Amino acid sequence: MIRLQDVRRVFHQGRPDELVAVDDVTLDIADARITVLRGPSGSGKTSLLALVGCMARPTSGRIHVGDREVTSLPEHFLTEVRRLTFGFVFQQFHLVRGLTALENVMLPAYPLGGSRKALVARAQALLDRFGVGARAHARADWLSGGEAQRVAIARALVNDPRVVVADEPTAHLDSKLSAGFMDLVAALRDEGRTVVMASHDAIVYDSPLVDHVVSMRDGRIVRGEP
Amino acid sequence: MILHPSVLALVGSALLIGALLLYSAYWGARILERWDLSSGSEVQLGLERRTHLVSTLLGYVLVFGIASLFLFVFTADSLAPLFTGAMCAAGSLKASPYGYPVLLLQIGGFSLAGIWLIVNRADSLGHDYPLVRFKYRFLLAITPVLLLEMMLRAAYFLDLKPEVITSCCGSLFGTGGRGVGSDLAGLSPPLAGGAFVILLAGAVAAGLLFRLVGRGGWALGVLSALLLPVGLAAVVSWLSPYVYELPTHHCPFCLLQREYRWIGYPLYGALLAGSLTGTGVGVLMPFRSIPSLAGTLPAYQRRLAGWSVGLLAVLAALVAAIVAGSQLRIS
Repeated sequence: MIRLQDVRRVFHQGRPDELVAVDDVTLDIADARITVLRGPSGSGKTSLLALVGCMARPTSGRIHVGDREVTSLPEHFLTEVRRLTFGFVFQQFHLVRGLTALENVMLPAYPLGGSRKALVARAQALLDRFGVGARAHARADWLSGGEAQRVAIARALVNDPRVVVADEPTAHLDSKLSAGFMDLVAALRDEGRTVVMASHDAIVYDSPLVDHVVSMRDGRIVRGEP
Repeated sequence: MILHPSVLALVGSALLIGALLLYSAYWGARILERWDLSSGSEVQLGLERRTHLVSTLLGYVLVFGIASLFLFVFTADSLAPLFTGAMCAAGSLKASPYGYPVLLLQIGGFSLAGIWLIVNRADSLGHDYPLVRFKYRFLLAITPVLLLEMMLRAAYFLDLKPEVITSCCGSLFGTGGRGVGSDLAGLSPPLAGGAFVILLAGAVAAGLLFRLVGRGGWALGVLSALLLPVGLAAVVSWLSPYVYELPTHHCPFCLLQREYRWIGYPLYGALLAGSLTGTGVGVLMPFRSIPSLAGTLPAYQRRLAGWSVGLLAVLAALVAAIVAGSQLRIS
């Protein structure tokens, strides 16, 4: 369970251009479920996702990941939580150009140490699982949009995280690839992982595979259509 | 004021460190006043971020402050040719009434700042800021001492005038004179040397015991804390004549000069740092039972004990080499 309690996130606080991106959000995100944050551009869903994934700290409020309160953690403890608990799929995928798909998948595991041979095997197995094993040695900039997304998902899973966080994961995919992505997400949920996504794509938030949709507008959670 | 590059650096750093210390102490007081980890308020989250900033800032500031002790003594030594009668830093420090108080405050500040840095490092080992109140109370307690040292340091350099006639180290640290230097020089060499060797051996033994089996932390802390003043006294009374091979010359500053291969720098460095790390082990002993530190603090203390043993072993080797290599024999 990820629990957010009275969470606010304010940018440029006290300045004329102050922006309240997340405003007084209290939310429980259940384990082993797919939760989608939906809302128009600027509704605060990406900011909220960053807070859930411990990539940003709130201005006020507390966030618990499991039984651990994470907003007060010193940075090196938070880094450990982020590294071991969360896998991230970014909107632009953010694969490192010039590196191969396999090397990209292996990257998040380097700080943890361990055997390189075992890491290569694990990364290759993930690429195989998502149907891009044959492209393991292709450079990231040679991959198609669908391939890049699958490599990004494999990279998110390389440290075996309990929670996968995805920001607008279908923004650059056609309808067929988006539907395929939802099948992959469902498979992650079925193996016990929690999936949290921010999306304004109806293929995502209207999917029957989604367990919980949280609608947002102006940084707040709203009932019904945002 | 003498416009020497080191003087400008020390005066400038005193002003800068003083300002940053005041800023840190202000936030330390705010943290002590309003800290409540159970709250998710904006104030509390702001203080959590602020404590990281203050810790990082103070980390750099105090490390520079510690290093400035050696720069201060080096500068005082470098300025000696400008004063009539001065042969080394002893005379330069005597050229202003602020000189020796600054030196004593710097040595005290070195220890206090070092202890704060050790406590700060220990605090960062726990996920729930386990020593936050202790370390900011300690900071507020030592800030006046450090600020006083910086003000007197600036006053000392501003007060220096080249035409001043001062005393040489032979009279300041002569056994027949008056004052703290003469009193130290007049201590019985076997007594001072014996006390120093016994404390040094005891601290190394306690450090080894703690490093190997995790016991004797309190003893290491106490012995290391005593070692610093006793060691400094023993250098004046007992060890320096071996270096100069003159039973009547007790100056603790000539050791820093080229004629004596700058032996004072490694000697004082090993004494100060070895004593500090050993004392740090003792200071941290009461915090071993804090749940968030129970898994990490003992390992950190063992590392400190290892550093202490290593530095004190270097000190012992230097002292042994000085005594064994000297033509002087003190019965």
